[in-house]
Amino acid sequence: MGEKTTISVLEGNNFVVSDLRGDIDASPSEPLGLFAWDTRFLSRWLLTVDGQRPNVLSTDDLDYFYVQFFLVPGTGTIYVDSDLSIMRKRAVGNGFHEDVTILNHKDKPVDLKVRIEAAADFADLFEVKDALKKKGEFYHRIESDRLVLGYRRETFARETLIIPSARAGIDEHSLSFAVHIEPHGEWATSLEVAAVLVGFGENREQTTGGHGDQRARSNMKRSLEKLGEAVPRLSCDWPSLQVTYRQSLIDLAALRFFPITLPGQALPAAGLPWFMTIFGRDSMLVSYQALPFTSELAEATLQALAQQQGTRVDDFRDEEPGKIMHEMRFGEMTAFEERPHSPYYGAADATPLFLILLDEVERWTGNAELVRQLEMEARAALTWIDKYGDRNGDGYVEYSRRNTETGLVNQCWKDSWNSILFADGTLSRLPRATCEIQGYVYDAKMRCARLARTFWDDPELANRLEKEAAELKRRFNQDFWLADREFFALAIDGDGRKVDALTSNIGHLLWSGIVAEDKAEAVVRHLMGPHLYSGWGVRTMAEGEGGYNPIGYHLGTIWPHDNAFIALGLRRYGYREEAARVAMNMLEAATYFKGRLPEAFAGYPRELTDFPVEYPTACSPQAWASGAPLLLLRAMLGLEPAGDHLLIDPAIPSMLGQLELLDIPGRWGRIDAFGRGRVDTSAVGNSAQSS
Amino acid sequence: MIDTTEAFFARLAERGYEPLLHSVSGTSRWDIKDTGSWFVAVKNGSLTVSRDAAGADCVFACSKEDFDHMVVGKQNPTTLFMQGRMKITGNPGLAQLFLRLFPDESLASREQG
Repeated sequence: MGEKTTISVLEGNNFVVSDLRGDIDASPSEPLGLFAWDTRFLSRWLLTVDGQRPNVLSTDDLDYFYVQFFLVPGTGTIYVDSDLSIMRKRAVGNGFHEDVTILNHKDKPVDLKVRIEAAADFADLFEVKDALKKKGEFYHRIESDRLVLGYRRETFARETLIIPSARAGIDEHSLSFAVHIEPHGEWATSLEVAAVLVGFGENREQTTGGHGDQRARSNMKRSLEKLGEAVPRLSCDWPSLQVTYRQSLIDLAALRFFPITLPGQALPAAGLPWFMTIFGRDSMLVSYQALPFTSELAEATLQALAQQQGTRVDDFRDEEPGKIMHEMRFGEMTAFEERPHSPYYGAADATPLFLILLDEVERWTGNAELVRQLEMEARAALTWIDKYGDRNGDGYVEYSRRNTETGLVNQCWKDSWNSILFADGTLSRLPRATCEIQGYVYDAKMRCARLARTFWDDPELANRLEKEAAELKRRFNQDFWLADREFFALAIDGDGRKVDALTSNIGHLLWSGIVAEDKAEAVVRHLMGPHLYSGWGVRTMAEGEGGYNPIGYHLGTIWPHDNAFIALGLRRYGYREEAARVAMNMLEAATYFKGRLPEAFAGYPRELTDFPVEYPTACSPQAWASGAPLLLLRAMLGLEPAGDHLLIDPAIPSMLGQLELLDIPGRWGRIDAFGRGRVDTSAVGNSAQSS
Repeated sequence: MIDTTEAFFARLAERGYEPLLHSVSGTSRWDIKDTGSWFVAVKNGSLTVSRDAAGADCVFACSKEDFDHMVVGKQNPTTLFMQGRMKITGNPGLAQLFLRLFPDESLASREQG
């Protein structure tokens, strides 16, 4: 891992990426800036004192939404012996609030010229990487107390307001302060930077220029503390778990997204820096991971996705009635339909996952009202599965994009274009029915049968869904099974061929329950065997397959969230010790990342590298990686709601010693779970050969 | 030829019930520039359309051309809003659900036919 050169502070879909001095000097290759609503509202933000950029002494980012920079004036040399100290304190909110303070340590007064250079390129996040040319016009206004940087394309307008508290000379590129500081005195100004979506009217609370109140900061702090109070307390003999648990909670708090359409509620965004928005799949899987700890994320996610459920057939957005969306964006390219994310619906798994999450929320919380409130949406989702999801009528949900220009080729979680390969490394053809989606459909129908019977007063629907699920399970175990290699095909492709690479997807099948009992043992043998299992976790694709690449995005890397769902699947089929091993190895990996698991790491064998090698461009923090340790805790403690009770059936790795999770919230009130480490994970699996 | 705006609201009134708004209750006002205002009230999916009402929980404002394009499916309501061509004020969650009324499939097919 290289030395950190940038620092990020964030809140919801608002984030600031700067260098260690606090400066922003964006270039096409450096995604620095103030970003909000998928737009860069500041691409330049440089502080100079007497024409020199300061040198950094230290940077302190103890809170995800707040950072302090300690600087001294630049001298052009590395020699630091300054009579002045410069502090910048930055809290992100709607835009950000920055306090700049300069201390004079001398016995004499000092006069300084302090200048902040500012510019905004209003790049859409999609443009940042590609350095596309803007189609509209830039403008600026200098008002009595502020600089306004603006961008307009027809009726679309975005503005950055920069409002200093101290008296400043303002021109279109900068704010200048003539500063006089008495001996041992100090000077300070605050700068309010607001990101304005012109025309969003009263839907956005906008900063009008209050100073010194630190509003964004105190609200965020309170909200984080509230989350901390509500979640269960963890104690464990292995101290690293505490670090990972705390980091997971902080990152999930940081990655919360506050949708305009659900005032006061928050759901998980997918990750920093490129995915600070609602994703159907990510937001739902993270919410699921977090359910034993907090149900608020899941309830908000279901409501937000229900509001955006597809109602029409729209090729550009890959939208169909009843379909749950994939990704929502708010930038210029989305607004002008140069990208389809308004929202984009290119995910074939999101709709069954919506139904799974709805049932799971009720199991944990007993929130029957939500199940009744979303009955129409759930029924529409079920209809989508049969009518649009199964586009060729073969009984399986398959996908093929209708937006061939900007749509996604692969509409499953392994969404890179080359993820669905045969064992010999050749590419399968569209449309593709990947195996895990069939598992999700099976699970969704079983769960909705329960909801129909218990809450929707529709036993006829319940019976039909159970019958369909049983038939799907029977056919799936026949059609997807590779008898010679004894595992399930990754997919059935457009030519009706079984896509025969060995992949982690078979682990999701255990989670969904679609695997016939007599086939589970073989599936587990492969998951824990040396080709799929690296020693740190289950690889996305097995070593030995034609497409295998230990640093291929979905072709051999190890994804923490993938492993967490596999661990839960292992528990479902009674493989307690295997689940404990997956959990232990992933928690060990987390210690090499200071408790923050990355989106993915390399699939090299554990004995080769001794430590997990981070995937080069992994997103961090990534919400479903942050949620993975939470789901692993559930898997190790064997937490399963059963009516108004919580079943606890621990299978704890011996390395962890005593593990306690106190005050687990749910329909039972609060319950404590304890377990003592008795599973010697070093002796589990990894001996069998995959064929 | 029947005016598209008039036809849209007339059809809503005739329909009386919209399953996509089954769990929705509230009133919206539609200010169509140089044309007039309509109120669409919904109570658990039951629709009432009027030209004058007491108040609204959310208000939409756009040009007649843009509105008619939404009705016949030539314009997506969300991007119309994102571009700043349709203003929405009031309860944003409720407003989002009212956008499910577009397009009107029968008016869209009439346009295409």
